[in-house]
Amino acid sequence: MTDAARSPAEVTRFFHRAMLIQAILPIALVLMVLGFTIFEPRVLSPQNLLNITIQASYLVIFATAQMIVILTRGFDLSLGNTVSAVSVTSALVMTGMAGAEGESVGSAIFLGILMGIAVGAGIGLFNGFAVAWLRVNPFVATLGSFNIALGIATMASDGRPVFNVPDEFSTLVYSGTIAGIQMPIILAAAVLVFIYFVLNYTVFGRSLYILGGNPRAATVAGLPSRRYLMMAYVLCSLIAVIGALMLTGRTGSGEPNLGGNLTLESIAAAVIGGVSLRGGLGGVQSCILGALFITALSNGMNLTRVDGYVQMIVLGCVIILAIFLDRLRTTRA
Amino acid sequence: MTVRTFGSHAHPETGLERTSRIAASVGLLPILLVLMVAFMAVFEQKFFGVNNLFNVLRSTSFLAIIAAGQMLVLIVGGFDLSVGAVIALTSTVMAKTMAVLSASMPDQTAAIITLGVLAGLGCGVAIGLINGLCVAFLRISPFMVTLGTLSIATGVGLLLTNGIPVYGMPDVFVKGFGRALWFGLPATVYVAVALIAVVWFIQARTKLGRYIYAIGGNLQAATVSGVPATGYLVLTYVMCSVLASITGIMMTARLGSGQATMGGNVMMLQSIAAAVIAGVSLRGGIGRGEMVALGALFLSILTNAMNLLRIDSKMQLVVLGVIVVLAVALDELGKRRQIRD
Repeated sequence: MTDAARSPAEVTRFFHRAMLIQAILPIALVLMVLGFTIFEPRVLSPQNLLNITIQASYLVIFATAQMIVILTRGFDLSLGNTVSAVSVTSALVMTGMAGAEGESVGSAIFLGILMGIAVGAGIGLFNGFAVAWLRVNPFVATLGSFNIALGIATMASDGRPVFNVPDEFSTLVYSGTIAGIQMPIILAAAVLVFIYFVLNYTVFGRSLYILGGNPRAATVAGLPSRRYLMMAYVLCSLIAVIGALMLTGRTGSGEPNLGGNLTLESIAAAVIGGVSLRGGLGGVQSCILGALFITALSNGMNLTRVDGYVQMIVLGCVIILAIFLDRLRTTRA
Repeated sequence: MTVRTFGSHAHPETGLERTSRIAASVGLLPILLVLMVAFMAVFEQKFFGVNNLFNVLRSTSFLAIIAAGQMLVLIVGGFDLSVGAVIALTSTVMAKTMAVLSASMPDQTAAIITLGVLAGLGCGVAIGLINGLCVAFLRISPFMVTLGTLSIATGVGLLLTNGIPVYGMPDVFVKGFGRALWFGLPATVYVAVALIAVVWFIQARTKLGRYIYAIGGNLQAATVSGVPATGYLVLTYVMCSVLASITGIMMTARLGSGQATMGGNVMMLQSIAAAVIAGVSLRGGIGRGEMVALGALFLSILTNAMNLLRIDSKMQLVVLGVIVVLAVALDELGKRRQIRD
């Protein structure tokens, strides 16, 4: 700001305005849901609100994964295809093991999950190594792994869904409940709490903000920038693995095109919620807000029977509008 | 004075850095191209069949034109994720316009084609204007703006056609242009060469070209030295979309029908890959049209070679991914070594 001296009244007005802008998105979310309710009362029914929450739990996980690398001024284009690759490989291991003699379903599921983690960690390491050590631009590095992960997913499955994932696995990550709460919500909450803790209470987490906000300062301050950058990409992929396993449990099969639009959707959710693509700005709450917003929008349009193609157009307009509001927020507040 | 910083990477390049960088990027790509062609000469003679070469030239033309547009946007420090969707939108709008006009005035072939092409180009201009205005005036991140228009353009294309191919374009347009040979070469090749020449001319000889480099190299410095940056930013995005539109027109003419699934994210990612392989910097300020055409040629030959060698299409994806990352990593390593010396 140019003038350091402001009158108290000016300062108050400035902060009121800042608070108003901060609150735009939550207000817009509420208004939107109320607007849909006028056309279709079912939108506000408890059953539908639960639906929105469950649907949003998937998106919020991917948005959180994406946020971790966006904080460092990067992004992960390979996220969607990582999801596909994890889904296919873990499903293959589970169905293969469950069919074998003398193997319990439990160990099949365990090994399937391990396989998913291994594939995710491998892609994350590739991304992190290329970005942190080879200094390849994140866009190009993850564009490369986008292709590689897609290749793995389609090659492993021959382009066909892998059926017969054990029912026990679906119960574990999808249909089961703990204390009456659905598993997707519990898993998403666990991821959010964990990442909230990492970002706010660990050196690694705090460093991610510095890495994105001012990379030179991070190096001067003696942070192990390369190692942290690499860890950020691995963590991003590992969180995506959790979401991928949940989606696999939901469909009950390993799907080679499960990831489809997840990359762009996850970036959109994170950024709409307030994570800045210029790095160093955002948190778990941004992802929750963004994921809820996008999920509620598409849920409302589905219930009011808006044509699927029109939905794409609306989503495009909303993305641009939301980012514009976000820009007002980051520059004025 | 409020001081805005545009990323810590955006340091002004010295003449030496620029020369060595361009030398490095010119060096690698032609060598790889020659090696690849030599490899094909030994292992797969079918590569040199006339029909196969025409196919390679056609796909190179398509890719080179979008990649050149993408390059312009990359030079000003942006991104255009919407090029694939612009191809789809152009294809459907043009085919639809031609089909409707053919039904109402079947004799006026020239008018039908002209109006159809203009409608197609209009789509490019419209999407380019949305992108450019949002980036330049509202200062929204190019990634998110073009992600938005990607969704919008795809949606409009699908809505217009319900996802069904649109037939009914005049025969002359398809047989006389899209699938035609002019003086022994596919017509699209001439269009591509002409457009690349125009881009080269703009970059090397005009004020517009110098301003585009200046804006991407250091927006603040450019603005301070009196470059009307916002106007030129909008113009750059419009040029990119129009080039994508032209590709859409040529692809539609080749296929003989308008399709809402044409282009898509594959074309978009390939256009960025071709530009990056050719040494265009994603940090802005660096890139040359003729090199990008070489990059497009490289990617097209690579894809074609892998097809001829019967490499599994899924495996091809993996190879493509590794090559893109390797090319950029090598480039980056070479640059660092030069800076150290």
